[in-house]
Amino acid sequence: MSAAPLVETRELEKQFPLTRTAAEYFAGKPRRAIHAVDGVSLSIQPGETLGLIGESGSGKTTFGWLVARLHDPTSGAVRFDGEDITSLKGVDLRQWRRNVQVVFQDPVGSLDPRLRVWQIVGEPLRAQGMNERSEVRRRVGELLPTVGLPVECLDQYPHEFSGGGRQRLSLARALSVDPKLVVLDEPTSALDVAVQAQILNRLVELQRERGVAYLLITHNVAAVRYVADRVAVMYMGRVVEVGSVRGVLERPVHPYSKALLAAVPIADARRRRTRFRIGGDIPSMVNLPAGCRFAARCPFVVDRCRSEYPELRAVPGLPGQRAACHRAEELLEVTPETLLKSDETPKEAPSAGAGSLTKPTGY
Amino acid sequence: MTEPTVSIRDLSIHYLVGAGRFHAVSNVSLDILPGHVVGVVGETGCGKSTLAQAIPRLLPEPPATIGSGEIIFRGIDLVKVPRWKMPMIRGTGISMIFQEPLNSLNPAFRIYDQVAEAVRIRTARERGGIQLARSEVGPFDYAQRPMPKASEVLTHPILPSGPVERAAQRRPNRAEQVRREVLEALRLVRINDPETILDLYPHELSGGMRQRIMIAMALSEKPSLLIADEPTSALDVTIQAQVLTLMKELIEEVHTSILFISHDLGVVAETADELGVMYAGRLVEYGPVAEIFESPRHPYTKALLRASPTRYKSEGPLSSLPGSVPNLSRPPPGCRFHPRCPIARPACSVEPGPKLALVEDAHPEHRSACFYAQEVPNLP
Repeated sequence: MSAAPLVETRELEKQFPLTRTAAEYFAGKPRRAIHAVDGVSLSIQPGETLGLIGESGSGKTTFGWLVARLHDPTSGAVRFDGEDITSLKGVDLRQWRRNVQVVFQDPVGSLDPRLRVWQIVGEPLRAQGMNERSEVRRRVGELLPTVGLPVECLDQYPHEFSGGGRQRLSLARALSVDPKLVVLDEPTSALDVAVQAQILNRLVELQRERGVAYLLITHNVAAVRYVADRVAVMYMGRVVEVGSVRGVLERPVHPYSKALLAAVPIADARRRRTRFRIGGDIPSMVNLPAGCRFAARCPFVVDRCRSEYPELRAVPGLPGQRAACHRAEELLEVTPETLLKSDETPKEAPSAGAGSLTKPTGY
Repeated sequence: MTEPTVSIRDLSIHYLVGAGRFHAVSNVSLDILPGHVVGVVGETGCGKSTLAQAIPRLLPEPPATIGSGEIIFRGIDLVKVPRWKMPMIRGTGISMIFQEPLNSLNPAFRIYDQVAEAVRIRTARERGGIQLARSEVGPFDYAQRPMPKASEVLTHPILPSGPVERAAQRRPNRAEQVRREVLEALRLVRINDPETILDLYPHELSGGMRQRIMIAMALSEKPSLLIADEPTSALDVTIQAQVLTLMKELIEEVHTSILFISHDLGVVAETADELGVMYAGRLVEYGPVAEIFESPRHPYTKALLRASPTRYKSEGPLSSLPGSVPNLSRPPPGCRFHPRCPIARPACSVEPGPKLALVEDAHPEHRSACFYAQEVPNLP
């Protein structure tokens, strides 16, 4: 964390306003909003991968879009190379866009079915002022082998590719303008295991060759483990934990991180998990609770959690890791496995009060 | 030896594509024993969903065509059952949970009506309103209908005296009973406050809730075979864990046979008793789930297991499978995996390819469709 960060967000907020009914409008009720991203401060170093994990609806995609300036933030700032990009406009904004590119989740929907490969992959080049058709084709022809596609497919259409092939096209398109940061929004969630491994390998190799930074947004913990250097866990618009990939995945501090990791099925029949204990869904993002947002589902909740929001703070003994939990120190010994009921006698976690663990919170 | 709930014998299914044929499933044989959970894994396009939909004959025929083989369910070969008779079997013996819970619930009906439909079908079946599948399948023969006994006619008046009593006679509080059963079904899938949920529409529920409603519907028909086609793939990991936990509890409580289709090895490892691995329309390995994870005996299974990312990037690249899935319009001759296989030899590309067979030095129920299954444990 010594060098100047490539991207730095400060208290970034994005709200999506809801429409009021006529009755609410005339009654003078305030307009309510979905707090998709609610005060996120994160940074990405040049050439590093920040993994962002969380359930759907936690605001991780919105955060990615804010960083790429595909959304305008409600408040807060995004600094890119020290420059605030939230106020960029017109030509400046267009020129800045060469720095950040996005690979979208849906490999079918994000490629225009009526364009040929060279037109799709070359579109960012044209937007950045490369107008010569032969020049674009030459550049795209150079790019395709780097993502593992043959040059011969320049004149093919996206439907001729498999899911993995389409995702490679998206990746080639994102890399065409030599960006400093690529936002990868669920790059492998539509792919099979074998294809996923190919794409993940390619991502890591490309990062080594080009020094590009990634913001990897996914709910796939295995992908994050392989690609990321640091990991941030998001829940309901807030970052609940951030740290090195080994730190967060092996010694998660926040109860939500533990729950998320406990929920990941392991492809190993000997280590068969039994019962998962965190019940319920993500609560409404409109009426946010005052205290910790995980309080309603947390098995370790105390009164303080419901009234006072825990700030992201350093955890003693775990350098570089920060968590937003009042009870971080007490819960260090609780592993993700403790959040799974064993089939025999239910074990009590060392620091939890009796009864609080076995009670499923709001199925 | 217990009778299997469903027994698939040498099933081949192809789709008519243009002038050619797309061989989605080739010579698959599979037995599902009562109370067992059989997982089927494979990549996209390996034919696992075609297999799942072929059992209740939900495939659009044409273009899908069952080329050969039989699906024996309760003594009937479902392949030979005429299409018009299938609804009787589907509703009464085989239930299905689909991948996308929003698309498989009707957005125009409240939850109550959708679950109640399943309950009504089952109660109608239990009352004899719907003919149960019989072993001899043919048009209904009125001549074989048993004559009512005199005692029955005497004790049950043919016409009740007044309209109110007649209605009461016909439906003794049936609406209430259906409602009670619907509530029970929702409680079974751990839905809090089912009374409120009943009056909601599917779009008002979260993905995990919808999938639980689907499970409730499938189970309220009390099926002897439940087919779960990627039931958790559209869900978040935490919700997936909840649904899987629920399914595991239900497996113990309800004791039905389950065919569990997934592309996620982790999900299958947690639920299944037996595991089948499909590649390019063929079943390449089959056996107890722990055995397959511990010592796979087919090179494809081995590669698939090794491809799941379990390491950090500092520990070297992930092992990935070279090449891609073959085009099933023109499947490669012999073993369909041989173009990508690290231990392929000339014998592998000769028709007919290896058949699913017991492996000598492995678990007595572990089958693999590889000539060189003994060498697989030594692969890197």
